[in-house]
Amino acid sequence: MPNSPLNPAPDLPKIEEVADSEAAIARANREVAANDAKPSSKFSAKSPFFRVLVSTFLTILLAEMGDKTQFTTLLMTAESHQPLVVFLGAGSALVATSLLGVSLGRWLAARVSEEAIETAAGIALLAIAMLLIGDMLDVSL
Amino acid sequence: MDWDLFSVSFVAVFLSELGDKSQLAAIALGGSSKSPRAVFFGSSGALLLASLVGVLLGEGAAQVLPTHLLKGLAALGFAAIGLRLLWPREDEE
Repeated sequence: MPNSPLNPAPDLPKIEEVADSEAAIARANREVAANDAKPSSKFSAKSPFFRVLVSTFLTILLAEMGDKTQFTTLLMTAESHQPLVVFLGAGSALVATSLLGVSLGRWLAARVSEEAIETAAGIALLAIAMLLIGDMLDVSL
Repeated sequence: MDWDLFSVSFVAVFLSELGDKSQLAAIALGGSSKSPRAVFFGSSGALLLASLVGVLLGEGAAQVLPTHLLKGLAALGFAAIGLRLLWPREDEE
């Protein structure tokens, strides 16, 4: 806050300034309380980014274990004995398909309402769960 | 560097993953999540680790993973996220 040259005692804040800062503190306290009380929207946690990262990582990792892509890399390595080259080729392909998938999701999300995208995503994820259960049963039969 | 082998593994994996359930999951999660970047990193990391395991198993020995159990757990995880997205929100009730 600028001190006017006419005010000889800059250490002593004016009454209005004290009142202002008290109001600001009260306002900040109310905001903090509101943020604490408000549950975070989707994945109720302190850090949505971390929660999304972990849940995506775990579900996709579990789904891909023993899947055909993993089997492909397994066979190619067994044939060529060049695990690093196979891993680099497969890995860059997987990063590319992930990037394509997420980009397509964002592209769709920008075009339809949030509610519609959530319903579609929910149905898609349930369908994936059923596909996985189908995989499980096929292998065991 | 064996560029032929690199290209073959890239193309084979790219084609087999295109439109597969992991990519469908990436579309669904990336579209509905507030942090698409986290979805991208999570999905890429998981796929990289899965293919690393495939490569290591190819060099090493037999299939040792309980894949039934893992797929079942993944199905539960996707179903849980899907249901949470479909569940009516409290602020609309």
